[in-house]
Amino acid sequence: MSNHMMKTVIPPSLEAGDTIGIVCPSGYLPAEKVDAAVQAFRSWGYRVVTGKTVGHQYHYFSGTDKERLRDLQRMMDDDSIQAVFCGRGGYGMGRIIDLVRFRKFRERPKWIIGYSDITVLQMHLYARYGIASLHAPMASSFIGADPADPCLASLRDALAGRPLAYEVPAHEYNRPGRARGTLIGGNLSLLAHLTGTRSEAPTKNALLFIEDVGEYIYNIDRMMYQLRRSGQLKKLAGLIVGRFTESRDTVIPFGMQPEDVIRDVVKDYDYPVCFHFPVSHDRENFSLKIGCEYDFAVTPGNVVLRTS
Amino acid sequence: MKRKEFLSSVVPLAAAISTTTRLPAPDPDPKIPGYLKAGAVVGITCPSGAITLEEIQPAITTMKDWGFDVRVGETVGLKDFTFAGTDSQRVKDLQQMLDDDSIHAIMLGRGGYGAVRIIDALDFTRFRKKPKWIIGFSDATVFHSHINSNFRIATIHSKMCNSFPDDPAVETPEQVDSIRSIQQCLAGERMEYKAPANPNNRNGTARGVLVGGNLSILQNLAGTRSEIATANRILFIEDTEEYLYSIDRMLWNLKRSGKLATLKGLIIGGFTNIRPDDPGEDFGMTVYEMVMEKVSEYSYPVCFDFPVGHQKENYALKCGVMHRLEVGVDGTLLHDDP
Repeated sequence: MSNHMMKTVIPPSLEAGDTIGIVCPSGYLPAEKVDAAVQAFRSWGYRVVTGKTVGHQYHYFSGTDKERLRDLQRMMDDDSIQAVFCGRGGYGMGRIIDLVRFRKFRERPKWIIGYSDITVLQMHLYARYGIASLHAPMASSFIGADPADPCLASLRDALAGRPLAYEVPAHEYNRPGRARGTLIGGNLSLLAHLTGTRSEAPTKNALLFIEDVGEYIYNIDRMMYQLRRSGQLKKLAGLIVGRFTESRDTVIPFGMQPEDVIRDVVKDYDYPVCFHFPVSHDRENFSLKIGCEYDFAVTPGNVVLRTS
Repeated sequence: MKRKEFLSSVVPLAAAISTTTRLPAPDPDPKIPGYLKAGAVVGITCPSGAITLEEIQPAITTMKDWGFDVRVGETVGLKDFTFAGTDSQRVKDLQQMLDDDSIHAIMLGRGGYGAVRIIDALDFTRFRKKPKWIIGFSDATVFHSHINSNFRIATIHSKMCNSFPDDPAVETPEQVDSIRSIQQCLAGERMEYKAPANPNNRNGTARGVLVGGNLSILQNLAGTRSEIATANRILFIEDTEEYLYSIDRMLWNLKRSGKLATLKGLIIGGFTNIRPDDPGEDFGMTVYEMVMEKVSEYSYPVCFDFPVGHQKENYALKCGVMHRLEVGVDGTLLHDDP
């Protein structure tokens, strides 16, 4: 099933007039919160359809497991939809991932857009089927955003098939080096959670990126130890550390910041590492193509990550 | 050589191998450390969070009352932020206690966080030849899982030094019994545990090696060399101060990593101090429902409200030892059945 040795399947780019389907496979999202995203997509020349789970609520979720599964499945399989935009993360993808059917989607892959809880689907897609996906802003990022917002522009570029290239400032903890590899990653809590399951992605020669929000620093440490102890950090081509926003500390301080923790956990390896890469739960969340080849260069002056 | 001749010559050889080499059995008899007699020595060490000498005095006094001598490790009283000393200090103290033949059991000072940072730095060579009881819970699940799964050596999941009440006069009977159960375990008494009937239980009986511990830790060990081996075993889980969504997610990790498929039985302890959902976003499922949906396709017995967890009723359980579980209309009965 898992075709790690095969070349990644890259969904086709979108063309003017193509349709983006919006679905909420995890947490509840009030209907009006997708308006800004809908307007942006239309201004980019796309049509938009919203699924039944948008604005629908079942307790915490955007519908029962069945409703969320049905909506996601329809968006993935409907040939009149060319990309699937997840409105919100939260929690819930893990409850339905083993029920999603990929038979048709594998024949006609399309970009799955999202981050946070969507990491489950994105890593599963890559681990099991070698299909690329788009780690990118979701609905709330569009609300009140400048039309020229560079993160939203990066999503627009990614969907249109333009190459992505980011240059970011150096961080004092960066470990210089150059690498080429398959970009994988997402939310650290979910990468840890997927460890030991069939959705765990191969990390050999990969460029791994990680980010998280609202986690206790000790727990970030614990999750990094899980990645290391399960062998997922050993054979990386490089490590891209995004932002760990709103990190929490215990009453007695942990004594290290998330960046200290991560630097320490990978100190035995020699691949390039960069910190404060603009991928996060905050405003700065540039689009990244999971499963695609990237060139990664960490130099004393800056960091460059670009599609190969 | 013709294929036929090759086969005829290889068959007796294979037979010879099977009788002369020791192949690993699927679940060999667990190794049970020696039970403690009067005068035995219990070492106290802190591989995780920091604790002071003063805070462990009740544990020292009580264990001396049980007739044991107590050896206080160097990490007691040490403090490196939240840890009971640096990683190397915590490794050194525990390693010394593992290897010192004059120490017969090791009780952890407290849980917290830190065991997973040092587990790979510990050398269990001598411990495997001369096993001794490791006693604790919560973060100590790292040791239980690592030792039960890799070495088939039994450990004791129970309250630790920080759970011994300062003032015995205000102890509840449950606390008294929970602490006393450690003594009973260490003395090698036959253990029996009861839990009230719960309408969510799935009745049945099972016999298997008991393993388990803190759910957060079990997820954290997934995919690592310390991951819990659950095939044909009775698994118990507990946790504290987690969100409902997080408990659900961790249960999915257990299921999706194959830990629930071939159990003999499942024991759900306390899920205490669950963090409240955000306003307007109630999770909509109870822990009972979350557990039962994960195991609906299996038929082994499942019981809830078992007295293990971050709570007053937290009885000493011998992990890695054969137990019998009976879940019935009158309640749950678990007893060791070596």
